[in-house]
Amino acid sequence: MQNAKDTFYITLRSRLAAVNPARTMTLRAATRPGILVSEAEAPPAQPLLDVFALNWTGMQADLQLPAILARMTCEIRYCTAGTQNNAGLDRGRALEEMDSEVLKLLYPYSAPKVNYTQDPAVTMETIVFWSEPEFDPITTLRDSLSRTVKVTVFAFQEQGEQ
Amino acid sequence: MSTSTSMPLPALPPTGRSVRAYFAPVDRVHQAPTLFDPSLNGRFAASTPPSPWIDLGWIESFERRSTSKFGELMTGSPGTTQFQVRQTLDATVSLRFKAWSKLSMALAAGSQHMNLIVPAAGGAPNGSGSRGVAPVSLIAGSTSTFLAISASDAAGFSPGSLVTVDVDYAAQTGYVGSGVYAAYISSAAAVNNDPDYIRRVSFNVARVTSSSNTGLQLAQPLIAGVPAATMRVQPISGFVDREGGRFFQEWSALFVIDGEQGERIVFHYPRLQSLGGPAETATALAPPLERFALSAAFRALPVTDANDGEQVVCFRSFLPSPVTLV
Repeated sequence: MQNAKDTFYITLRSRLAAVNPARTMTLRAATRPGILVSEAEAPPAQPLLDVFALNWTGMQADLQLPAILARMTCEIRYCTAGTQNNAGLDRGRALEEMDSEVLKLLYPYSAPKVNYTQDPAVTMETIVFWSEPEFDPITTLRDSLSRTVKVTVFAFQEQGEQ
Repeated sequence: MSTSTSMPLPALPPTGRSVRAYFAPVDRVHQAPTLFDPSLNGRFAASTPPSPWIDLGWIESFERRSTSKFGELMTGSPGTTQFQVRQTLDATVSLRFKAWSKLSMALAAGSQHMNLIVPAAGGAPNGSGSRGVAPVSLIAGSTSTFLAISASDAAGFSPGSLVTVDVDYAAQTGYVGSGVYAAYISSAAAVNNDPDYIRRVSFNVARVTSSSNTGLQLAQPLIAGVPAATMRVQPISGFVDREGGRFFQEWSALFVIDGEQGERIVFHYPRLQSLGGPAETATALAPPLERFALSAAFRALPVTDANDGEQVVCFRSFLPSPVTLV
């Protein structure tokens, strides 16, 4: 399952770098595309603004197939307070921009599974695929707007895969 | 010295998770099904059935129905049933295959199931595939998982490609197909005297894992075993079936339910013939993603039980849990 999770993250990260190269963040002294996996970072005191945070929540497995079909829920959470130049009055526009980017990051809804634990990374046999995004309503907290998008990621477990 | 066990529990209701299906060919020419003897092989490991049974994995919506009809013999006034008679013997089975493969698709389709032979240039378009590229001949040294062909022929097959391996059609009539009878040919004219026709319907197919100067390594054994020298190889791109056709697939079948307390229920249908055309059932995964299963229905045909000469269409075996009374 970890290969599928890694593949999903790296796919979205690569697409974000192409869709909006300006959306970057500096984390642990490195500047990189503005998308992270929450479980692989130190817990933040408060949500990072203007970045996409992937949170793996649900997990199911269909064991009665020739290969196990894992079904994992990924919640993509993002939050914005707009820009300082506009005193945050553009936070609605900023959130809409992130909504639009999420749609572009997720499409096409599949990617070849890659094992990133090896160097160089190894492309595996099967394709990781995911559902279309399910947008939750906007949540308002003081001067920021946030949203969660749910995606179900599917992957067949390959022989010998952990 | 004596041994004893703890007092067994009363008989318990079987609880199982799913049904697993196994199929084996029927010798159509001699009308000889593959018989399963539960007293010999009843406890086979679910993932390694005894030869020649082929594991088709977990199935869903398994339903078997007895449609035999009974009549009564009445006497007296008012008429009172004194005896019953079995007027007809009939049973059906329906199920869904979760995975699509050559065999599951053929079983679900019911009629001839065709291989899409890679077409030759300039062929006329046709729904089940047009005239194929020229087949290549085998040379000495083939096995059920290795096709010995010349280096120049092998160069035409890439790893991952699919092949069909069978004899040329040469005006024979009757059942054709190596390993499994895949079609019935009434006349050469009916199949346009097509030399590729048997390879077009053959179950003797496999995926190529590697190609070398000596031949093709296969990812799975051919259903007909070691290929005959007269067989030839053609690349295929997939499979096709049709709504229609006069041929009926006939297979022997086993359906197994493994209970949680170690009991096993086995349904053995020596002869199942297709009872319906191609159909699919979609199951929602996460909208709009759906999983598509092959729907299949069969009619059970009779065999004679060697123990008492009775005509039967199905055997239901129960191998009790080791911890219960019987």
